[in-house]
Amino acid sequence: MYGLEAISANNGWSIAVVGITIVFTGLVMLSFCISRLHRVIDFLEKFPDRKERAAKKKADKAMKKNGGVPAFTGAEKESAKQYRLLARTMADHFSLPRLLHLAEISGLDKPHSRLNMLLEAGIINPDTEGYYTWDLDLYRKIVDRADKDK
Amino acid sequence: MENLFFEFFQNTGFFLCDYRNIVMILIGIIFIYLGIAKHYEPLLLVPIGFGMLIGNIPIFHGLGLGIYEDNSVLHYLYFGVTSGIYPPLVFLGIGAMTDFSTLLARPVLMILGAAAQTGIFLTFLGALALGFEPNQASAIGIIGGADGPTAIFLTAKLAPALIGPIAVAAYSYMALVPVIQPPIMKLLTSRKERLIRMEEPREVSKREKMIFPIIAFLLCCFLAPAALPLLGMLCFGNLLKEAVVTERLAHTARNAIIDTATILLGMTVGASTQGDVFLTGQSVGIFVLGAFSFCIATACGLIFAKIMNLFLKTKINPLLGAAGVSAVPDSARVVQMVGQEEDPTNFLLMHAMAPNVSGVIGSAIAAGVLWSLMV
Repeated sequence: MYGLEAISANNGWSIAVVGITIVFTGLVMLSFCISRLHRVIDFLEKFPDRKERAAKKKADKAMKKNGGVPAFTGAEKESAKQYRLLARTMADHFSLPRLLHLAEISGLDKPHSRLNMLLEAGIINPDTEGYYTWDLDLYRKIVDRADKDK
Repeated sequence: MENLFFEFFQNTGFFLCDYRNIVMILIGIIFIYLGIAKHYEPLLLVPIGFGMLIGNIPIFHGLGLGIYEDNSVLHYLYFGVTSGIYPPLVFLGIGAMTDFSTLLARPVLMILGAAAQTGIFLTFLGALALGFEPNQASAIGIIGGADGPTAIFLTAKLAPALIGPIAVAAYSYMALVPVIQPPIMKLLTSRKERLIRMEEPREVSKREKMIFPIIAFLLCCFLAPAALPLLGMLCFGNLLKEAVVTERLAHTARNAIIDTATILLGMTVGASTQGDVFLTGQSVGIFVLGAFSFCIATACGLIFAKIMNLFLKTKINPLLGAAGVSAVPDSARVVQMVGQEEDPTNFLLMHAMAPNVSGVIGSAIAAGVLWSLMV
C-alpha cells in the first residue's frame, strides 16, 4: 500500500498531529516555566531581606512605644541579666571576647546573637581604649520596665 | 601443499570479496577523508568510516568474526547499540557539556526547537506513503531531528534491522549541515531579515542553571515518559555540570564516558553496514527520506521564526530557526556563518545555541512520543 491510502491505513495523520502537539506542548510548557524561574528565584532570594525588614520595623515600633528604649522579649531580658552577672565579674572596662568566652563556657543561650543584641541596644558600648563598658542606666531601664510590666 | 594454499586462498578476503564490500569500503574511506581532511564531524565520521572498513572485510561465516554472528566480539560491542545503551551515555556527556544559559535568558527561542521537529513527523508521513511500516517510518522520520544518538536509540527500539542505514544517514547529514542548510536558509529569508540583530541576553544566575535540568526533566518526562532514557541522562549530565560540587563526575561524563561511548557507537554502527545488508533499495529510500527530513526540519524552523516575528515586539533573526535541528553545535555555527555573510559584525552564534539545545530536548521528546505510539 502506498501514498495517502497507506498513511490513512496506518493512522499516520493522527500520529503526526499528536506527535507535533506533544512536542510543542512540552517545549512551550518548559519555556513558560523557565521564563518565570528567575522571578521566582529573585523573590525567594529577597524573602530573607523582607523578613528582616519586617522584624526591624516591628522592633522600631516596639521601641517607639517603649519611649525610645529597646523592647526585649522575656528570653532576651533573661540573657541580658545573665550577661550582666558575667560583666560584674570583670573590670568596668572589659574585653568583649572575654565576655563572650565566659558566656559560652557558662552555657548561655545563643551567646553570639544575644551579645550582638546588647551591643545594638547600646547596653554594651565601646570605649576609646578598645575595651567595652556596661551602660547600667539603660540596662535598668530596659530590664526594670519589663519587670514592672509583669 | 598446493591444496592447502588453495584452501587458505578461498578463505581470504580477496577470494570472498563482493562488489558491495568494495563500495562500502570506498564509502568508509570517503567518510574518513571527510572527517580528517574536511573536518566534517571528525569525531563521528572517523569511527564510523573505520567501522565500515571493519564491517566489510569479507569473512566466511562460522569463524565468529562478523558483527551479526553470535558470540563474536563485534556482536558483543554492537549489543550496546541494539539495546540502546550507548545513546543515553552520549546524552549524559552532552548534558555535562551543554550550557543552557542562552536558552534560559530567552526561553521564547525554545519554541524554534519544537518547530524544527515538525520535519520528523512530516517525514514519518512521507515514509508511510512510500510503503514503509509505521515503526520503520518513525525511525526514518527521526533522522530529521539531526541527532545521531536519538536516531540510533529509536531505531534500535523500533526497527533494529535499519540501524545501519539510519545511523549512517543521520550522521552523514549532520556532517553535511554546512552544505545542506545554507541554501534553504537563504531561500526562505530576505537579506533584511538576515541582518536583524539580536538583543543582548540577560545574565543568568547559577541557581537558575542548577534548577533548570530538574524542571526540564520532570516536566518533559511526565509528559512523554518514553523520553526518559535520553532526557534523564541529558538533564543528569547537566546537573552534574551546574552543581559545581560534582565537577569531577561532570568531567568524567564529558570526557571519558562520552568519548568511550562515541568510539564504540561509531565503530559498531560503521561495522554494521556490511555491503550485503546495507546496499539495498530500502537504504537508498532511507537516504532520500533522511535528506528530505533534514531539509523540512530546517525549513520548518525558519518559517516558524518568521511567524513568531509577526507577533513579537522585538524581532528575532529568522536564521535562528534553522538551529532548531539539534545538530549541536554545527547548525548554530551555520547560522553564525550565514548571518555574517550579510553583516560580519552580527554575532548570532550565542543566540543560535538556544534553539539548538532546545532541539536536542525536542528531538528526544519526539523520539519518546514515537516510541510510545508505536509500541
